[in-house]
Amino acid sequence: MTAPVLQARGLSRRFGGLHATHAVDLDLYSGQILGVIGPNGAGKSTLINLLTGHLRPHAGTVLLDGRDVTGARPWHIAQAGVARTFQIVKPFRGMTVADNVVVAGLYGARSPGAPESGTLHLGALRLGAGRRGLAAVRRDALETLERVGLAGKAHLAPAELSVADARRLELAKALGLRPRVLLLDEVLAGLRPGEISPALELIDSLRRDGLALLMVEHVMSAISAVCDRVLVLHQGEVLTTGEPAAVLSDERVIAVYLGTRFAKRSSTAESEGEPT
Amino acid sequence: MPAADTAAPATGSPARPAGPSPGLLPPRWRRVAPWLLLIAGVLAGFGLQTQLYTGQERTASTILMFVSLAVAWNLIGGYAGYACFGQVGFFGLGGYSTAVLMTHVHLSFWLALPASALLVGAFAALIGAPLLRLRGHYFAVAMLGVAEGLREVVTNVPGLTGGGAGITVPTVDAGAPTRWLGNDGFYILFLVLAGILVGVGLLVSTSRAGYALRAINQDEDAAAAMGINTTVVKTMTLAVSAALTGAVGAAYAFQQVTIYPERLFDVDITVLMVVMVVLGGAGTVIGPVIGAVAVAFASEWLRQNYPMVHTFLLGGLIIAAVILLPQGFTTYVHDAVRTRRFSPLANLRRYRL
Amino acid sequence: MARDGVMSQFLQATLYGLLQGGVFALVAVGFSLVWGVMNVVNLAHGAFVVAGAYVAFELHSWIGIDPFLAVPVVAAVLFAIGYLVQRYLVNLVINAPVFITLLLTFGLQLVIVNGMIMLFTANYRSIPTAYATTSLALPGDVRLPVGRLMAALLAVGLTLALGYLMRHTRVGLAILATGMDRGAARLMGIKAAHVYALTFGLAVAMAGVAGAAVGAIGTFSPADAGRFTVFSFVAAVLGGLGTMSGALYGGLLLGLAEAWGGQLLPGTLVNAVAFAVLVVVLAVRPQGLAGRSFYAARVEV
Repeated sequence: MTAPVLQARGLSRRFGGLHATHAVDLDLYSGQILGVIGPNGAGKSTLINLLTGHLRPHAGTVLLDGRDVTGARPWHIAQAGVARTFQIVKPFRGMTVADNVVVAGLYGARSPGAPESGTLHLGALRLGAGRRGLAAVRRDALETLERVGLAGKAHLAPAELSVADARRLELAKALGLRPRVLLLDEVLAGLRPGEISPALELIDSLRRDGLALLMVEHVMSAISAVCDRVLVLHQGEVLTTGEPAAVLSDERVIAVYLGTRFAKRSSTAESEGEPT
Repeated sequence: MPAADTAAPATGSPARPAGPSPGLLPPRWRRVAPWLLLIAGVLAGFGLQTQLYTGQERTASTILMFVSLAVAWNLIGGYAGYACFGQVGFFGLGGYSTAVLMTHVHLSFWLALPASALLVGAFAALIGAPLLRLRGHYFAVAMLGVAEGLREVVTNVPGLTGGGAGITVPTVDAGAPTRWLGNDGFYILFLVLAGILVGVGLLVSTSRAGYALRAINQDEDAAAAMGINTTVVKTMTLAVSAALTGAVGAAYAFQQVTIYPERLFDVDITVLMVVMVVLGGAGTVIGPVIGAVAVAFASEWLRQNYPMVHTFLLGGLIIAAVILLPQGFTTYVHDAVRTRRFSPLANLRRYRL
Repeated sequence: MARDGVMSQFLQATLYGLLQGGVFALVAVGFSLVWGVMNVVNLAHGAFVVAGAYVAFELHSWIGIDPFLAVPVVAAVLFAIGYLVQRYLVNLVINAPVFITLLLTFGLQLVIVNGMIMLFTANYRSIPTAYATTSLALPGDVRLPVGRLMAALLAVGLTLALGYLMRHTRVGLAILATGMDRGAARLMGIKAAHVYALTFGLAVAMAGVAGAAVGAIGTFSPADAGRFTVFSFVAAVLGGLGTMSGALYGGLLLGLAEAWGGQLLPGTLVNAVAFAVLVVVLAVRPQGLAGRSFYAARVEV
C-alpha cells in the first residue's frame, strides 16, 4: 500500500469542557474515498476544520505527504493542495459563478496564475504577466465549471443558483485549487434523489483522477456506493473504521447512529436484491 | 449577523455582481478605456485651473483632496470591507510628520512627503496586525480609538508638535526648506495626488489583488480556504491606504502652513470620507470620486450659503442619503439599468427590518 | 504631613472616580444594550445624554423642579424620542452593513447636537440645586459631595434595576430573545420592530437620566456629546457587551481610571491612556471583563 497523502494522529480539540474531537486517527490515500459518518455533534465538521487549519488542535498532528502541517494557517494548507467544501455553502456573493472559481485559480498553488506565496500581494500588482495569467485562469475556471455541470451558468450570481447548483459551485471552487486532497462536508444534503446519482458519479470520477477524498455524509446509500472505507465518529471519538458493508452492519454503529429500523431495512433489501 | 433572520445578504452587495465583467476577459479597449478616462480627467483638471479664480480654485483643491481621501479609504473600507473609522489618524499623522520634519529637521517638502507616507504606512502595518483580527463594529471602534489616541498624544508633546497651540511650517525667508507652492501650485499637487490615487484604485480593482480583497470582503473564511493569505493582504491594504492618506495629509499640512490637532485629527473628516465612498458606491473605482465631488460640493455650498445651520443640514443630508442610497450611486445606477427598477424606495425594502 | 496629603488626595480621587463611574455606568448601559441586542453602535448616544440634561434644565427654569425629581419626566420624554427614532429611522437600515448604521447615527448626532446649539446656544450650563455646595465630611480628610452621591446612587440603582428588568419581566426577556435570534423570536410572536424600538427607547431614557444627573452636579454643553459617546464606548467594551453588569464594571473602572489618571498624568494625556486601553482591550480580549465571547465572535458585517 502506498503512503497516505493526508494523515491525522491523535487529533483532539476541546471547546470549553466539550471534547469536540478526541484522539482521532485517519489516513487518506490517493484514489480512495474515506466516508465519515456519525450522529450530529459527533465532531465531523470540527474534524475537517482541524485538517484544514481553520481550527488549531489542542493535541495531535496532521501530516501532508509526511510533512507536519499541524496548526498551519488555512491558506498554506490550501496552497499545499488540500481543498474543502463548507457544509453551509460560502460563495462570494458579489462575484459571478465564474469569478468564484477564478479566485481559487489565482491563489491556489498549483495553478498557472499563482506566484510563490511570498510574493502574493506584490505580485498581484504586476500588469503584464498578471494579465496573461488571468486569461489562462479564466479558461481553467470555465473548464472546471463544465466538469461540475455549471457550464451554462458562468455569468450568474450565486444567489440565483438552485441548491444543487450551489453545491456544484462549492465543489467547483474547491476543484479550482487543483487539489490532491478534497474534503467534502455533506455535499449531498438537501439534494433530491435524482440529483444524488450525478453527484456521486462526479465524486467517483474525481477518485479515478487520483484525488484523495474524505466524505462526511448522512446519506448511507452514497456511503455504500462510493466509499472505499468508512470511519464512524461518536462523541468526538472514532468508534470504528472498515469497509462500508462491515461498518454499516456493525452493532455498535447501529446502536449509536443508524438505528435498528435501518439495519432491518438494509438487510431485508439485500436479501431481496433492492437498493436501500 | 446579529440574528438569524436575514432577508438579504448583509454584505450589502446586490443580487447581481457589480464587479469586473463576467466570463471571458473584456476586450482590449474595455481594459484600456478607464486609464484613458483617468488621463483625460487629469488633463481636464489642468484645463479647469485656467478657468477658476482664486476662491474657486481653493474649493476645487479641497474637493480634489477629498477625492484622494475617499479613494484611499475605499481600498480598506470599500474593497476589503473593513470599515476603518480612524482614517483621519493617518491623515493627521502624515500631516504632523511632514510639519515636524520641515520645521525641526528643515527637510524639503518633497522629501518630507514620501517620508511621512512611509512612516504612516509602517505605523498602520504595525497596529493593523492585531486589530485586523477584529471585524465589523469592533474594528471600526478600535481604529477610532487609535485616531483619537494619536490626537491626544500629538496634543501632549508640545515640544515636538506645538501641542494644542499648533505648529507652523516655515514657508518664507531663508528658514524655509521649500517655498510655499501657492494656490496654483497646491491645486496641481492635489490634482496629481488625486490622479495617482485613482490610478492605484484602478490598478487594485482590475488586478489579482482586487479579487483577493473582494473575496475577503464577501467571505473571509472561504477566501482563506482558497489560498488567500488574509492576514498579509489585509495588513498590506491598510498600510497602502494609510500611507496614501498620510501623503494627502502631508500636502494639506503644507498648504495650511499652521496646523492644529483638532483640525488634523477631526473625526468629521473620517466621517466625510466614509459618507463620500458609501454614497458614491463602495468597492468601485468611480464611486468614491463621484461621492467625493458631490458631498464636498454640497458641504462647501451649505457652508457658504447657510453658515449658521450648515452642519445641521449636513447631518440631515447624511441621514437621508444613507437611508435612500445605501449601496451608493454607482451601484444603484448599475442595478437600476440592469433590472429596470429606478425607484430608490427599493432600497428601503432591502435593508429595513 | 505630606504623606497624609497625598493619601487623602488619592482617597478623594478614588471616591470621585467611583461616583463619576456610577454615572458613566448609567450612560454606558444603554449604549451597551443597543449594541448587544441590535448590533447598532449609536454614535448619537452622547447627544441624548446632553439632551436629557437640557430637558432637566428647562424643567428647572420653568417650574423650578429639582433635577433628580424631574428624572421620571426626563426618562419619559427621552424614551419617547428614542422609540420614535428607532422605529422610524434606524429600523430602516438595520440589515445594512456596519458602516451604514454608523453613518446614520453619526448624522443623527450632527442633527441633535447642532439642533441643541441652535435652540440653547453652545454656552455651558448647569442646574442650580440647594445642595450643590453641601458635602459630607469623611475620615481621611475626604469630602463627599451630596449631589454626586445622589447621582451615583441613582445611576447604579437604575443600572441594577435594568438588569433585573431584563431577566425577570416579559418585556426584558422579549428584548433578550430578539437580541439572540430575531428570526426565532418573531416566530414566537414577538414584534421585532416594536421590541427594537423599546430597547432603543430604554437606552435613550437611561442616557437622558444620566444627563439630568450630570446637569445637577456639574456643567454641560452640546460640545460634551462626543465625550459621552466615547466614554460609553470605552466603558461598554471594557466591561463587555451583552451584560448589564458589564456596563457597571466598565463604567466604574473608567471613572477610577480617569480620576487616578488625572492625578498622575499631565494635561489631557489621560484621554490618550483611555484610548490606548480601549484599543488594547479590543485587541486582546474583545469580550471585555464580563462579556461573553459569543458577542465578540458574532459581531461581523
